[in-house]
Amino acid sequence: MVASTESKIVLTGTARSKGKAAAEAMVFSHRFGWAFNHVGNEDGKILTAGWDHHGETVAGKIVVYPTVTGSTSGAISLYYKVKQSNHGPAGFICREVFPFDISGAIAAEIPAVDKLDQDPITTIKNGDMVEIDAPAVGEKATVTITRKG
Amino acid sequence: MKMKLTERQQEMYDGKQGEAKKFCMDKLVDFGLAVEATEMVDLVLVLCGCPIWSKNPRDPKTLEKLSAYDLGHSRLYDPIFAMKDAHVADETGCQCGNDPYFVQFDKVNEKGYPWNFEIPGKGSFKIDDEMFTDLKAGYDKLLEHGHLPWLSCNPYLNTRIPKMGEYAASSESSAACYINSVLGARTNRESPVNTVYCAYTGCLPKYGSYLDENRAAKCIVELDDEVCDNVKGMADFGALGACIAAKAENRMMAVLNLPITRMSSGATKNLISCASPGMNDPLLHLIGITPESPTLEAAFKGKMPKNPERYIVTMDDIVEMYRYLNALAPAPGPDSAKPVDIVLVGCPHATFDEVREVARLVKGKKVKEGVRLWVQTDTPTYFMAQHYGDTKSIEDAGGKIYHQTCMCMTPFRHYPKNLVIATSSFKYVKLCAGFGSEGTTWIYANPEALVNAAVTGVFKPTTRWDYWSQPREKRLASEKDKPLYDGSLPMVS
Repeated sequence: MVASTESKIVLTGTARSKGKAAAEAMVFSHRFGWAFNHVGNEDGKILTAGWDHHGETVAGKIVVYPTVTGSTSGAISLYYKVKQSNHGPAGFICREVFPFDISGAIAAEIPAVDKLDQDPITTIKNGDMVEIDAPAVGEKATVTITRKG
Repeated sequence: MKMKLTERQQEMYDGKQGEAKKFCMDKLVDFGLAVEATEMVDLVLVLCGCPIWSKNPRDPKTLEKLSAYDLGHSRLYDPIFAMKDAHVADETGCQCGNDPYFVQFDKVNEKGYPWNFEIPGKGSFKIDDEMFTDLKAGYDKLLEHGHLPWLSCNPYLNTRIPKMGEYAASSESSAACYINSVLGARTNRESPVNTVYCAYTGCLPKYGSYLDENRAAKCIVELDDEVCDNVKGMADFGALGACIAAKAENRMMAVLNLPITRMSSGATKNLISCASPGMNDPLLHLIGITPESPTLEAAFKGKMPKNPERYIVTMDDIVEMYRYLNALAPAPGPDSAKPVDIVLVGCPHATFDEVREVARLVKGKKVKEGVRLWVQTDTPTYFMAQHYGDTKSIEDAGGKIYHQTCMCMTPFRHYPKNLVIATSSFKYVKLCAGFGSEGTTWIYANPEALVNAAVTGVFKPTTRWDYWSQPREKRLASEKDKPLYDGSLPMVS
């Protein structure tokens, strides 16, 4: 890795679910939901026609989206993808993490962060390496973005 | 801990009321911290999901099946089912039940239903025996724990009806929206993770829609007089609900000029359930209906700006919503006739007036061979329909009526390919787009046109659509030569 081709941005926000994660970013410009009808439970693939990243999988990614849309079953579908089928995200970042996504993240034991000091949707780009450090629920969390080139 | 608990809640948290209640309280307190709650509310109704209780969920073959059948909630019950003292919190008057799942238990082997059917030339589907056995095991365990697993999305209509000011926890969005907007009780669109724990404790952190400050309208959506006078039929009310939510763009709204006297329980349910997928906060202030909102000022909680944002819903908006829904999947569109495979009424579960409408429309006719007419409803309505002859009308015609289940709760992705499904359910068309089996297309229409499609095997728009789908100027011009269309037929896309 060549240091001169990388840039780093460090943001702070609030942890809604605790944990640490480091993975590639997958950014949605629109509201997003984890429910099985939007993101396949068995494969993590984006199913909804017209959504960003249609046909790609969320598995192992840090997913960035404004806030939730769609069914409350997003909470349990998220839990299933992470804990049962192993096709879930490593963590996620929102402008505002909606409460049922919070409960899904807590059950899945992955970090979820919101209220960052810059807008995550415009600051984080697809393919950025993102590191989340969210030690305690309701407390400060750090998001470090590393961009190549 | 920052949260203030009542004596009973504290006892559960301290483990004085058993292992299961302590386990669940720990989870709820964690969630309370994340949403910055300072206290908990006691609940009267908890609506959650029935688990598939597999003994070896990690077995690769079982896991593959669970990925198709489990919505994701089942394993949450495992630790609770392993505790000997687990029992729901019904001692406080709280009642706990479940959303529909993928089969009517006593008809698992009967053919012609969503869990066991064949479409000529396209293929067949039957639910897996192991998954059925495991669902029944979960259901029986819930009964043992004191749940009333009514397996319906409509318990608020006829089974447990929360009153104004009471608190509920509904993981079913359409139920949440109805409970807030029509009954005046309070619920969030609750996480189905939390509702598992709510069932055993009867409480939940006070947050979101439980709080007065989060229940104020932010804008006004007003129906044009033409809309108030002309929306007719279950799908019209659904399209109207979707238009209202779209205008408000995920903000809480006050709705003016509703045709209140023509809103049956089915129409009200459809309007609300079609708005709810477009709203994160499940409350529409329906002025004249919503108990806490007899006036606009009340809907804005005393904070109405001088010139609140105001949006108008016109008949053109309703027509556009029909066009949008019929293009989503993409469906064949309202302008051309199309053969159908399945005609379906009842998501959310059909009310008695919806069941009766289908029964009356189909009475004495025959559903075309190869086409499925499915009416899905809640358990009380299912037996009422049996008692009063509506079931006979539907079944004599070749249709099916069933309870405890819902087509989209089956592993719908594994249905035969290239199905054409006509329905009055906005939720199906909107939420299942992209989710169904490959090549599924949707038609959104009123019951009259749906039954006609079931009988003829071909969906066709009616003359009412021909009238309303014209450009406004042309439509108004046509009235110079003939009287204003009397609106006696429901609009059909």
